[in-house]
Amino acid sequence: MSELPRWEVFKQDGPGKVHQAVGSVHAGDGQHALFTARSVFARRPAAVSLWVARADHIFALTKQELDAGKGLSEGNGGTFYIFGKKTNRRSMTLGDHLGTLEASNPQAALEAARTQYGDDLLVWWLVPDSALVRSTDSAETVESWFAPAKDKTYKQQSSYGVVGQHASAHKKAVRGGDHD
Amino acid sequence: MTETTEIMTETLILTEALKTALTARFTALADDEITLSHRVAEWTGHAPLLEEDIALANIAQDELGHGTLWLGLRAALDGSNADALAYHRDAAEYRNVPLTELPKGDWAFTMVRQYLFDAWEVLWLDTARQSSYVPLAEAAAQALREEKFHLQHTALWVERLALGTPESTRRMQDALNQLWAYALGLFDPLPAEADAVAAGLLPDVAALQTRWLGLVRGHLEGVGLSIPSASELSASPLPYSRSQHTEHLAPLLADFQRVAREFPESQVW
Amino acid sequence: MTQIQNASASAPVLAALPVETPEQLEAFEARIAAGEKIEPGDWMPAEYRRQLIRMISQHAHSEVVGMLPEGEWIRFAPSLKRKLILMAKVQDEAGHGQYLYHAAETLGATREEMVDALLSGKAKYSSIFNYPTHSWADVGMIGWLVDGAAIKNQTMLAGCSYGPYSRAMVRICSEETFHHKQGKEMIVLYAQGTPKQREMAQDALNRWWWPSLMMLGPHDADSPNSGVLSRWGVKLKSNDEVRQEYMNEHVPELLEAGLTIPDSDLHQDEQGNWRHGAIDWTEFWAVVKGERGLNKERLGARQQAHTDGAWVRDALDAYAVRESGATRA
Repeated sequence: MSELPRWEVFKQDGPGKVHQAVGSVHAGDGQHALFTARSVFARRPAAVSLWVARADHIFALTKQELDAGKGLSEGNGGTFYIFGKKTNRRSMTLGDHLGTLEASNPQAALEAARTQYGDDLLVWWLVPDSALVRSTDSAETVESWFAPAKDKTYKQQSSYGVVGQHASAHKKAVRGGDHD
Repeated sequence: MTETTEIMTETLILTEALKTALTARFTALADDEITLSHRVAEWTGHAPLLEEDIALANIAQDELGHGTLWLGLRAALDGSNADALAYHRDAAEYRNVPLTELPKGDWAFTMVRQYLFDAWEVLWLDTARQSSYVPLAEAAAQALREEKFHLQHTALWVERLALGTPESTRRMQDALNQLWAYALGLFDPLPAEADAVAAGLLPDVAALQTRWLGLVRGHLEGVGLSIPSASELSASPLPYSRSQHTEHLAPLLADFQRVAREFPESQVW
Repeated sequence: MTQIQNASASAPVLAALPVETPEQLEAFEARIAAGEKIEPGDWMPAEYRRQLIRMISQHAHSEVVGMLPEGEWIRFAPSLKRKLILMAKVQDEAGHGQYLYHAAETLGATREEMVDALLSGKAKYSSIFNYPTHSWADVGMIGWLVDGAAIKNQTMLAGCSYGPYSRAMVRICSEETFHHKQGKEMIVLYAQGTPKQREMAQDALNRWWWPSLMMLGPHDADSPNSGVLSRWGVKLKSNDEVRQEYMNEHVPELLEAGLTIPDSDLHQDEQGNWRHGAIDWTEFWAVVKGERGLNKERLGARQQAHTDGAWVRDALDAYAVRESGATRA
């Protein structure tokens, strides 16, 4: 057997926020990938929903490729989830979910997305609806999959804030200022 | 605390006998969680897939968190200290079910044990949410959230391994054969628990066993595994219980308590 | 077509070294100079890709092997709270390895190739993890010093020019701060604790101080890969610069905690920089080459996990094939 497939993971941090591409996991199937994504990407707050999609089912294009006249390969029409990277600012995530649209094929979906969401995005990802596996949106799932992470304060650096303050005060006194 | 102390929770009056029953149950629950967490954590750095190192470390942390929760409930009743109880009791004083002290085995053994335990814990907690002892009802509701995820997660693994390859199926059946009798030990009532059950403080484990059997039998048989028959079980009953441990608990505790006991004068870690 | 899958399909092309024109290189360097991030799919020099795969996978391996020295101590942790913290910390190391493998995968390396390279000894990992752990205080000292040094590097790399590596680093830094602080908390506590705890903390510092300085890499004059990596915005600071930052932060804090740093030449210069004595690099290289330390044991443990897990991965694969009715290469 070759390695298990790679699944891209999209995490929603809270109600009213959009899903963002956070990384990937190796897993056997979609449900396994979803549970794995929860273990890997939601072990700290905050999350309320996860989506996964097999990496090789996603259509991706960078601005540079687009400018060079590259297009997307052929594929079925249907509903596409559009993700885009907007800035070069330092970030933990590749891009945001911009919206969803219907198109007769991936290339048409990309054209429609460029019209709708602007032409200056740095990276485009198009995920066919059929490729997405989603966590349940029920309150019970949110409570059991995601909410308990908030109580695990021991893995948050803010729990250790007081420690070493005397040492950094000492450092300032010695150096006459913070070197950062 | 003196023997005249009575803790009032709403209309409930806790007699010394009821407090003793609660204390015994909280200790048993804590010891289950602490020993199981220890075994699960042994996978960290050694799991079959890097992602599963992370998943198992979640389970180990959750279980240890629950263990701490139960020791906290006990402390509220008898003024005991959680670390002192965990680190300075011998194997003979531990009250975990032998199921949780068995060595971690292979991935199939780990997943079957965790599944059987998670199913028990979900049902116990679900019932305990109705306890007339409010601190227990609250703790149970809190722990139940995580256990529901655990149960979904281990049920998913049981399905995949049972239906995967001939080798994985064989390993799962072997694990189930070894573990089943130990899992049934979860449903042995604790001595002196009957009054607390009758008073609505603690779940009736005998009643839980029926629900548990329905739940796990449905899933295990649904994925093609067979459960050891009652006649097989009664032919060779386990000589172990919460007060009669296997040879595996003492070495587990020797590891677990090593540093703490090396530094008996250290109060702070 | 530009499915993400194509990244891996392009891997064999690397060996053939595609023709690179001066114009392409110039445009690439202009993007880096402008602070743009290079993303998978964008044009990049083959050497940039090669160096990144080497560096990121080595970094990933370090996280994964780095689970082992501290992981051994989860079972010995002396309180329920410390056990919980250590489980979360070692879990994070696995997570960081996971994020980094992902970043390297976007360049066309596969997880399988990278793991094979680690297990066969072809790929390196940070030699710091070949040092043995002798006492519980080592766990605290690793958090304070080793993670403290790592954070200095990682903070720099969070600003690097390759998007996926930069993003992995931003995520890692935010989690790594917890590792650093929990270690510092422990050691500060033990340094003020019972005589035995103090002794244990000092002993740990004696053994980890020099390795933590060495893990930031050879002196700038002896660092073969740095030139091209700094030119292309991957390494934004030199090894010696990062080491100096690490010294300036850690020396005063260790002294404040009441510990003795095992370096008789340690001093502060006129600018206020803390200066260390000469580093014994022969030991460093012996550990890097696996002549000293626990290289064989660490790789043996990873090999065992990989071999023992094969049937599990096969079962997942077989289940997926069965459920989808599809076949997969």
